[in-house]
Amino acid sequence: MAKITLDIFRFDEAVDVVPHRDAVVVDIPETTTVLDALETAKADVDGSISFRRSCRSAICGSCSMNINGITGLACKTPCNTVMDETGAIKIDPTPNFQPMKDLVVHMDPFWDKYARLKPYLQPSDSDSAHERERRVSPDDMKKLVDVANCVMCATCYALCPVVSVDPAFAGPAAIAYAYRFIEDVRDGQRKERIAQISEDYLWLCAHCYACSYCPKHVDPNDRIIDVKRAAIKDRVLMNERGPRHALVVTKWIKKVGMLHETELIAGTIGRFNVRGLLKVAPLGLRMAYKGKMPPMFLKPIPKVDEVRTIFDALEVPVS
Amino acid sequence: MSATLLPEDLPLDAHRRTQSAQRGRYGFFPGCVAKESCKELFNSTMLLADKLGIELIELTAASCCGASVVNDVNRDVARVLNARTYAQAEALGLDDVITICSTCTGHMRAANKELLESEERMDHANAILGKFGATYHGKVTVRHLLWLLIDDIGLDRLRAMVVRPLNGLKVAPFYGCHIIRPESVNGWESARHPHSLEDVIEAIGGEAIDYAGKTRCCGFHIQLEKDDVAANMVGQNMRMAQDHGAEAVLTPCPLCHLALDGYQADAAARWGRTDLPTFHLPQLVAFALGVPADRLGLNKHLIDPRTILVERELIA
Repeated sequence: MAKITLDIFRFDEAVDVVPHRDAVVVDIPETTTVLDALETAKADVDGSISFRRSCRSAICGSCSMNINGITGLACKTPCNTVMDETGAIKIDPTPNFQPMKDLVVHMDPFWDKYARLKPYLQPSDSDSAHERERRVSPDDMKKLVDVANCVMCATCYALCPVVSVDPAFAGPAAIAYAYRFIEDVRDGQRKERIAQISEDYLWLCAHCYACSYCPKHVDPNDRIIDVKRAAIKDRVLMNERGPRHALVVTKWIKKVGMLHETELIAGTIGRFNVRGLLKVAPLGLRMAYKGKMPPMFLKPIPKVDEVRTIFDALEVPVS
Repeated sequence: MSATLLPEDLPLDAHRRTQSAQRGRYGFFPGCVAKESCKELFNSTMLLADKLGIELIELTAASCCGASVVNDVNRDVARVLNARTYAQAEALGLDDVITICSTCTGHMRAANKELLESEERMDHANAILGKFGATYHGKVTVRHLLWLLIDDIGLDRLRAMVVRPLNGLKVAPFYGCHIIRPESVNGWESARHPHSLEDVIEAIGGEAIDYAGKTRCCGFHIQLEKDDVAANMVGQNMRMAQDHGAEAVLTPCPLCHLALDGYQADAAARWGRTDLPTFHLPQLVAFALGVPADRLGLNKHLIDPRTILVERELIA
């Protein structure tokens, strides 16, 4: 048994103006999960401590919270993996959400983005799905099983640095769930779904892998890349900056073997997009003034033909 | 002190003691940005290598690592491009490829992992490399210069080499993403509690600042998608760093450098002025090891780092 101090964020939006913290000491084995420690605190010390929980086995996705600065499921986090030398554990509500009461947050923005996906199968009109059994091959199903493990705990959404500065971004979970329908052979709305998620800022993912800490190993970071590839394959909204950027980078690697900084800026913004180019001009001028302007012309790397051979063998699209 | 579960002699192990390390001759992959807008990074890396007494042999025919962007177009191309680079290193008798960019580190390690973990993918890559007579035998380890400093040079030796200690300069480490995440790819240290940059900062006489922003994203990859979002990501992190007392920032990644150095001004409207000068890792280490400040390209930074060095009486 160990004396563990839970340093808990306390706030009730109905009465409090500012949050405060309570330190609650519980006497439990140190291998106990943080969720069980909270349950003990609630049962034995202070019944008013509020947090969401249900299954206690990482299936329901209710108990995501910030534990010593790390967001994850409390039911999957043993106390001894997070407590400091004094046996203290700091517990806060998940970031990127508005606190409601103690560790309970307003989940609405997360659910709204999920609802926008129309998260149910929509067979095409010509499909007589309702009249017969629909078979999915094991290979087709394999693409979906990992994503189907998502329990919507919103851990990825809470960890996402883009969400933290731009709430319009769909967030990792919604994009991973979009993938689940986009790649489902029974669905008839593939292009519409890709367009919808592109409009919800698919291409605003910053490739930071913060969401690689998914407690269910859905790996939203990789699913986001899958959806981007689907967008390029199906040529959906190709004139937006995201796909243009991906293709111009690829095109110049094929041409000169390197990332061509000046070309990719012009190519992404659009050579004739005067307003867009004027917007980046001040930074460009400041860089030029410091002698930091990337070269306008790049000599191809030695043996660039080998690079082109690779692109041709893999039939990589460059426009 | 292995952070991965892999046996020590496997190329995937970030802590591997390579033959290149034993001979002090490394394959060197500078990456595109150090050859284009951040030439000061390339130059200061070569000056640092000189001071450390190691030889960095540039893989001049290497291509871009894929920069995390080509994955958006095709799932195989980055893997095969990097296999070509590794084959070039092997042909030179080198089993170590040193990078100076977090994005290169992460994506080259990811490509290597994909190749080494699947015979099918390795054969597929080699079938394409075979068209121009190249083969990758799977002997290469990709590591960042930061890891080389700690594993091969060692912090004690580094400390002993310092001739111009930083005088307690308060430096905020900024890891960025791809040198630490995903852990399954990088695995040199914990991505949630990294300490390599802190260790180097302390070894060269600085004081490392702890703040939550050090492992967060700089927003570089979305600058062209939505520049205000990218600027806000910079502002958020630099605000945290300054509130914790930072006087300067140290980063192992030129993409983070471009973002932090270039976008603090744009972020000031929302986050207040921070104006924290940002050093490339080899710049600050080379400076402490006695390379003259005027050879490190500090004048190329948008936020001039010489001001704080003068204030701290580190340069005249």
